[in-house]
Amino acid sequence: MTTLEHPTNQHYDLDPRVFGLFLDESRKYSSGWYRTPEASLELAQRQKMNLVADLVHAQAGHRVLDIGSGWGALVLHLAGVRGCHVTGISPAARQREFVEERARLRGLGDRVRIVTSPFEEADDLPTGLDAVTALGSVVHMPDLPAVFAKARGLLRRDGRMYVSESCFRNQSIRARFDDVDGTDFVREAIFGNGELRPLSELVAAAEDTGFSIETTVDLTKHYHRTIEQWIENVRANRAALERIRPGIAAQLEHYLDISNAGWGYTTKHYALVLRNAR
Amino acid sequence: MTTSTENTGISDITETVRAIVAEVLAVSAAELALDTDLRGVEGADSIKVLRMIARIEREFDVELEDEDVFGVSTIAEVADVVRKALP
Repeated sequence: MTTLEHPTNQHYDLDPRVFGLFLDESRKYSSGWYRTPEASLELAQRQKMNLVADLVHAQAGHRVLDIGSGWGALVLHLAGVRGCHVTGISPAARQREFVEERARLRGLGDRVRIVTSPFEEADDLPTGLDAVTALGSVVHMPDLPAVFAKARGLLRRDGRMYVSESCFRNQSIRARFDDVDGTDFVREAIFGNGELRPLSELVAAAEDTGFSIETTVDLTKHYHRTIEQWIENVRANRAALERIRPGIAAQLEHYLDISNAGWGYTTKHYALVLRNAR
Repeated sequence: MTTSTENTGISDITETVRAIVAEVLAVSAAELALDTDLRGVEGADSIKVLRMIARIEREFDVELEDEDVFGVSTIAEVADVVRKALP
């Protein structure tokens, strides 16, 4: 495991083949968007990336930063389908090699750059950006106001930031559930330093940073369906997963199962579109 | 008579709740008394309790209030809040 630099993100630095065996081909590790309930995982993820691109008004030639770029699904989509110049940032070194290789194979090498660093510490990021995206990544960043302030500082005037995050359903649920076993398992064993917040806290941090809030989208049911399809893949590929890392199939299924049990009761998944404008 | 209809109703609800609880916790329904503390049954955890509630809500097509979802601890209490939530 190449986790020495940033040990808190060990889940994301697992052998990339593990993710290839339960995510879709793009290896997008966040909620899909199901325009119809029977959509395949692949289609739902493409629909989601188009939704994100539309919400930030992505156009050819736009410059975009994807915070927590993972295995590069959105980076490659924005570069390949929308013609954007995209920088992705992630602390997991293995992800950079993976994304850069895919970019080369698709002839997108000159439009894609990957930075290996925690976002909070990176000091060589592009500025004057048209858009910043952060799909399920600010949950790993303890100082949310600092993250929003830094992202806003990278945006041009009128640029947009798309943030999606799993949230406690409200403050009282957070107080009740912040300590129970399932939450601990997800936070400590998988996420490392995950910090679930209620939507109100994301909104307050965005407002206090100076963003205008343009849109909120409730993605909860879409994430539930996404995770159902991931669980189906874990089950279908159990033997192959176990060959890569014994015990991983059961651990993944347990984690995904816990996540899905809580939607609507303890947790919600929201997207916010923030605009760097009055 | 109204009273007997209500009684039949609660008893049907109770049996359905008991069956769902038994299935989710993988125990025999016969082991579950109406006043068994669900969170104290071996193998139960907060996630399984949530899963039970989700199954029960789907079965009866109701949405329970948070204070009921997180507050009930016995089959009798669950059946009671379901009955109150039914139209």
